[in-house]
Amino acid sequence: MSRSPNYLDRRGLAWGVVGVAVVIALTFIGSDRLVWFDAALVGYLFGVVFAVFGVAYRYAVWLRRPSTAMLNRRGWDAFRQRKARNVVALPSLVATQLLTQGFIRRRSHARWFAHQLVFWGCILAGLVTIPLTLGLLHFESVGQQADRYQVYVSRLGTMKFDAQSIVGWLIFHALDIAAVLVLGGVFIFLRRRLRDPGAMAVERSGDFLALAGLFAVSVSGLFLTVSSMWLDGRFYSALNTIHALTVILGLMYLPFGKLFHIFQRPGNLGVAYYKRANEQGAPAVCRRCGEKFASAQQIADLKELLPQVGFDYSIEGGGNYQDTCPRCRRAYVTLAQSARVGGFG
Amino acid sequence: MRSGRFGIDDSPVFVIDQSRCIGCEACVQACAECGTHRGQSLIHLERVDRAATTQTAPMVCMHCEDPTCAQVCPADAIKQTEEGIVQSALKPRCIGCSNCVLACPFGVPKYVADFDQMMKCDMCTDRTSEGLTPMCASVCPSEALWYGTIEEFRDTRSGSLFRDFLFGRQQVRTKVYTVIDDALAGRIDVLAGVTTTWLDDPFGLETEATP
Repeated sequence: MSRSPNYLDRRGLAWGVVGVAVVIALTFIGSDRLVWFDAALVGYLFGVVFAVFGVAYRYAVWLRRPSTAMLNRRGWDAFRQRKARNVVALPSLVATQLLTQGFIRRRSHARWFAHQLVFWGCILAGLVTIPLTLGLLHFESVGQQADRYQVYVSRLGTMKFDAQSIVGWLIFHALDIAAVLVLGGVFIFLRRRLRDPGAMAVERSGDFLALAGLFAVSVSGLFLTVSSMWLDGRFYSALNTIHALTVILGLMYLPFGKLFHIFQRPGNLGVAYYKRANEQGAPAVCRRCGEKFASAQQIADLKELLPQVGFDYSIEGGGNYQDTCPRCRRAYVTLAQSARVGGFG
Repeated sequence: MRSGRFGIDDSPVFVIDQSRCIGCEACVQACAECGTHRGQSLIHLERVDRAATTQTAPMVCMHCEDPTCAQVCPADAIKQTEEGIVQSALKPRCIGCSNCVLACPFGVPKYVADFDQMMKCDMCTDRTSEGLTPMCASVCPSEALWYGTIEEFRDTRSGSLFRDFLFGRQQVRTKVYTVIDDALAGRIDVLAGVTTTWLDDPFGLETEATP
């Protein structure tokens, strides 16, 4: 790349600005022209806006990598090929690949459990915090009854509940529940990261930073409840500032660090459709052993992609090395090496 | 085989010499003991041609200086350390497309369907980062897989260390060395003179008989 590494990607900027505009419009319209916007949460709004811009920017840049662009295109092609069938298959794919994450469970039950705790804790926290921040969700007293509330989604009144009821407790403590879930997962992950020699050898600073961030947000949030319930509100203001700071920094970290995988992972659905479409298509045949070894489509895609990323596996006199199956590649290397030491043995 | 640790001033290298493999499969078992992928053996051990010869050959990741696998990864999940180790796919990122499995010129990465991700040899990062020999090299009795300093190699082995390959028109330089006798003949062209299968002449007898 001859371009300076400091230049800003125009498409990324455009998508980032579009994302920010959508958030601001959603806030303005959803909060009934800011009537229900809670000014105390303006810092959180800044965090959300920054996160949306950053995630949209990085996603757009990521999609421009030749290999990502190719798979993105092929994934959508495969989806459109059998649209009706693929739409029907979508809920099951989302459930297995994104929500229940069985592929992690098969790797380790402990890691799967920890990941599920963090995943559902963050989902719950996001579902509460983001609508509150954007002014899309608020609570109003029902008439003159001080202990009865109604949930409003924008201007639409929905369920009513008694503050002293189980439902009331669950609603008012939703973020505490989320924090406990996340902390449970964080401790399981932390134990592995501190004690497993294999994990310690390959871990990167971002692994700890993500756990530290989740820990800070959850603990500072729980302390707000501790302050209001058991300390008569002492230190609440300071704790509130600390909690807001951790959440805002956490939101700002989303586009940069390990947690960006949240937005990358849905690409796995495109891969699933691509693989299914390829299974229906013609197989690739190895130029050496004549056996089928992959889909012809994927090999053709790789042969198109490789020159774009600076590789030339074409063979003088015709053909392409990429038409060789992995086993025969190992055989080629082995034979070539042994020929240079006078044969086997 | 070497016991003990390498010091901070040593620069040990990994050497693979497929022609010395005796097929004991110790490396296959040892690989599954690696701390970074416990229970999964990621080394390949090929039977060269079961019908014609008992010869076997191992294949580990050669850790290319410019790794094809990383360049074709749509999720940017394959990273290279400062030491030049091409690591296994980052678990949160890998989306299981198998591009790397199909594009690697050495045929190294494995797609593990159960985990829906690619896994590959990372030169036992848990061991080599602490100066220990990788699992496979620590158990290989014939030194087909070997780990040590270049000086040790010169003192104890014959042949030249080499790490430049040619795949069609593509040149590849690797961190892992192989062994050849004729270093002056240039890079190893994996397609040169291998137009027939080894079944045709597994021991090179016909080639030798040709005047």
